Amino acid sequence: MTLILDHVTKTYTDGPNRFNALDEVSLEVKSGEFIAIVGPSGSGKSTMLSIAGALLSPTSGNVLLAGENITGLSSKEITKRRLEKIGFVFQAAHLVPYLKVKDQLNIIQVLAKKRVKHGSDLLTHFGLQHRLNNYPNELSGGQRQRVAIARALMNDPQIILADEPTASLDSKRGQDVVKLLAGEIKDRNKAGIMVTHDERVLSYADRIVTIRDGKIVKD
Amino acid sequence: MFLAIRELLFAKTRYILIGLIMVLTASLIFIISGLAQGLSADNASSIQELQADLLILTKDAEGELTKSFIPMGEAQEIVDNQGDEHASTLAIRMMNATRNNSQQQLDIAMFATEPDSMLMPKITEGVSPTNQKQVVADTTLKQEGVKLGDKLTIGEASYTVSAFTSGQRYSHTPVVFIHNQGLDQVNAIAVQGDAHVEGSFDVMTKEDALQGIPSYSQEQASLNMMIIFLYVIAAFVLAVFFYVITLQKREQFGVLKALGANNSYLIQGLMGQVVLLAVVCIALGAAITVGIGALFPSDMPFHLELVTMLKPAIIMMIVSFIGALLSLYQVTRIDPIEAIEGAAA
Repeated sequence: MTLILDHVTKTYTDGPNRFNALDEVSLEVKSGEFIAIVGPSGSGKSTMLSIAGALLSPTSGNVLLAGENITGLSSKEITKRRLEKIGFVFQAAHLVPYLKVKDQLNIIQVLAKKRVKHGSDLLTHFGLQHRLNNYPNELSGGQRQRVAIARALMNDPQIILADEPTASLDSKRGQDVVKLLAGEIKDRNKAGIMVTHDERVLSYADRIVTIRDGKIVKD
Repeated sequence: MFLAIRELLFAKTRYILIGLIMVLTASLIFIISGLAQGLSADNASSIQELQADLLILTKDAEGELTKSFIPMGEAQEIVDNQGDEHASTLAIRMMNATRNNSQQQLDIAMFATEPDSMLMPKITEGVSPTNQKQVVADTTLKQEGVKLGDKLTIGEASYTVSAFTSGQRYSHTPVVFIHNQGLDQVNAIAVQGDAHVEGSFDVMTKEDALQGIPSYSQEQASLNMMIIFLYVIAAFVLAVFFYVITLQKREQFGVLKALGANNSYLIQGLMGQVVLLAVVCIALGAAITVGIGALFPSDMPFHLELVTMLKPAIIMMIVSFIGALLSLYQVTRIDPIEAIEGAAA
């Protein structure tokens, strides 16, 4: 099992009110499996993605990443796990504006203190070899999202998490990006989770998990 | 520094603009420091350079050299008690002098002491006086046209300039060292080593005596206040700049943290930028100041050496660090969750 959420609850306190963003959610994602999480706004799907991505710690329950329980780790250790085990594809790509395309990937290796930089191979694989020295604002939305996927693969992670990867793209480009993402997850035998509103891209997912009011209602 | 350098190069304009402000502030700090030191030397170099450790004044002078009057006989007694290799009388008079019987009046400070006194300054040009009618003048008197061998009429008496010395100014006027014969009172007794006096006398250090020179402390205080304000301004300008930039980059920092950048890496980058900016701007400011200093007229009291520039430069560096602290705190507070839309509750 690559990623396991085990009875995860996330509670927010707002004055006297307590509110469960996630309520006893359990989920398993295997290597090579790509699941889509859908649900209305405020249903808890972003919270779930954040907990799966070690950006947020659960109020109760456990998160197992590649067999290791990461819930009790220090924030420094958790940052290290994110760097080594998790790849993120954010909404609107979230590339660093002042980095050229090749450096968008190299930064990951700089952070991991690795010497070898194989970013250009990945970018060639994604058909971006002509864009290595361009800044993000010189790229199209689809190209940016492809750079973001390449960046997520850079650290050879166990799981890839995508937060609304099609939000800033038109229908055709959105489909291309998700198709690419799904293909890479299969080829590289990663576990993939995608949060989306976009029903047109659900066909690329192996499983669709629907979440409402912090609970999984359909799997 | 991978990120820090690339960002500096990418956002050149904004860093050049803030750099310009820093360069100007640094230049102003250096120039005013130079002026403060120049004025200090112009006002008191003769006391600062005095070959003595302590000065004995009368108690009722309250630390002001020119208000202390000691009858010659009494002064001589003290000198004898101290041992005359380690003590000399010193009389200071602000006088007018005329050169070679011309009409032009020259302001001078007359320092009268024993001819073989330890207080006699180092001669840079000419020969030591051999009789009571020969004097040593500060080299700045040359700017008024005085040359070696000229006749100076001070009060009733006439003297010949036999030598020049340098760095001897008092109360913004050149000092003329003169034989003390015939004086019936002096202002102080200068002593090397320890001084033992009692009764109506006070012993003070040279530094304390400086404060007793008319306008000395006021001059220095106002200039030092300007310098302190400039340090504070520099700190705030940097603090505001990096604060706003950090606010602007909040989302980026969130993304970088989500990708696995830890606080120490991001802080190193920010500090790297601050250090780079500060070092470059301080160096440019120093270079500009040296350039401007060379253009100042030679009689302008402006005094700046590499060693004396070091102190303001170091303070500027420290102040830049302090300015960056606010942003450092901010960076550590940014949560990587901000990279995920809608998840930050």
